[in-house]
Amino acid sequence: MPIHDQSYRRYAGEREYAGKAWLVIARNGIATIARKRLFVGLLLLAWIPFIVGAVMIYLNANFPQFTILSMTAQRFRDFLNRQDFFVFVITVWVGAGLIANDKRANALQIYLSKPLTRTEYIAGKLVILATFLLMVTWVPAILLLLLQVAFSGSFTFLRQNLYLFPAVTVFASLQVLVSTFTMLALSSMSKSSRYVAILYAGAYFFSHAVFGVIYAVTGSTRLSWLSLPGNLNEVGDIVFRVQPRYSTSPAISVLTLAVLVGVSIWVLERRVRGVEVVS
Amino acid sequence: MTRLREDATARHALPPPAADQALSPLPPAVETATLSKWYGQVIGLNDVTVTVPAGVTGLLGPNGAGKSTFMKLMTGQLRPSKGSITVLGQKVWGNPAVYFRIGFCPDQDAFYDRMTGLEWVTALIRLNGYSDAESLEAARRALATVDLLEAADRKIGSYSKGMRQRVKLAQAMVHDPDLLVLDEPLAGMDPLGRRKTIRLIKDWAREGKTVIVSSHILHEIEAMTSNILLINHGRILAEGNVHQIRDLIDTHPHTVYIRAADPRGLARHLLSHDDVISVKFEEGALVVQTAAPDGFYSRLTELAASGEAGEIAEVTSPDDNLQAVFQYLVK
Repeated sequence: MPIHDQSYRRYAGEREYAGKAWLVIARNGIATIARKRLFVGLLLLAWIPFIVGAVMIYLNANFPQFTILSMTAQRFRDFLNRQDFFVFVITVWVGAGLIANDKRANALQIYLSKPLTRTEYIAGKLVILATFLLMVTWVPAILLLLLQVAFSGSFTFLRQNLYLFPAVTVFASLQVLVSTFTMLALSSMSKSSRYVAILYAGAYFFSHAVFGVIYAVTGSTRLSWLSLPGNLNEVGDIVFRVQPRYSTSPAISVLTLAVLVGVSIWVLERRVRGVEVVS
Repeated sequence: MTRLREDATARHALPPPAADQALSPLPPAVETATLSKWYGQVIGLNDVTVTVPAGVTGLLGPNGAGKSTFMKLMTGQLRPSKGSITVLGQKVWGNPAVYFRIGFCPDQDAFYDRMTGLEWVTALIRLNGYSDAESLEAARRALATVDLLEAADRKIGSYSKGMRQRVKLAQAMVHDPDLLVLDEPLAGMDPLGRRKTIRLIKDWAREGKTVIVSSHILHEIEAMTSNILLINHGRILAEGNVHQIRDLIDTHPHTVYIRAADPRGLARHLLSHDDVISVKFEEGALVVQTAAPDGFYSRLTELAASGEAGEIAEVTSPDDNLQAVFQYLVK
């Protein structure tokens, strides 16, 4: 009589390449960062403007003397503008080490010997930073919008401001896209996350300072495209249909941001490799 | 003794490998045709046409010979500059599907010191599509295989050099690959760790799988297989049976660096044997020259096991002796 083996048996089926390894990278990265209490504290801090906005909506809806606080497109624009600070801090905190730390640990050669393409690796890293950035931009902005719709008591606000949903989505996505690609490109260029953080902060503030000096000398805002935050502000104003703050053509700002993202992708393509190739 | 020479057109064949490997019905694990890789002006691998059979194959060559480049081409981390390479019958560059069947252990340390061994291996196995539960189970099994289960929950930063080598080995074999590519896996291991790892590699091959293992130390390779590829300056110098090349190497003194708790006590034991030509002391270590590496290493393993000469933490061998043989071969 044949005796069947009842002990543990290894999985013997085929494991097919499904192109989902980026999810593993993203999930691990998000879980690692979310375990840091100080970072969670920062995220909570980033939601204070949302709470203030929610209180304003409540007061405006329930007490006539607070009509001055009524929500407009400009207020939503201002809300996302105020979140710029948190976008910058989170980009530096989360993003600086995303690739730099892997390079310092020589981990890329191990990762890329697994069923993981370079594109998936970069996508996973992008998702980590983008998730946290969206949590302080798109998520609270959309929630505020929904609160406003809920408290307004009619569909008038919704009918008049329906464009705010895509506006919030487009602008928050643009903010996240530019910040994540720029930071990841810088992170792939060094093994030191501190150096990357300084480099990003330098590029961010220096570009704005250059524009500031030119503005102080010439009195013109035509060269606002030299400033990274300047370009985002210019495009944001157009997206929210408010008065643009600079006299630069929005097309130039969009083009500048597109070039920045393009250069970042080119840098990532060259720098994210399992083996350092010196030519 | 037959002198082996290298010329531009033909490789020198050593005697064929052991019968079990020569007659293997399994298809070749790695096949290359005029494979070359250069980094700008520097040639990493030059016009290599070779077939690696199933079983254990040793890739033997001095540092900078092109072993790591060859291994990185095999694992799809480098794109060939010229020629082709297939692994397990499939092209490897840009083909992540074949990476499920390959395990790679690099020569450099490649991990986060703040992670535990278990966390690191578990995180990596997830990239192979395992669920959380499967990953944990497979990681524990792999760590047990390399005798590291007890230290699995310790941070990698607290691991010794030998333990780091073993945890790298665990991540390479955790997904049960058909091809294991091990770049200098024994470097820095203590004698007992070496013996266990050699046994592990041989057992792995006995299951019908393929192991390609690089080293610049002949006797290490010889302990695992008789089938070797000799590589130097990016070219395959010879392939086949190890025994002929070993005779050449034995004519040159073999240098061994040993880091030990009591170098002087260890030296006393070692100098009582005729094959030890010289002993030089360094801080916390000694450098020994021996004329009979095989006997020397087996005695060293016994000494480490018995503890008579105190703890032996690390054993490495510079490649001077092998380099001398290579110079002789290509004269």
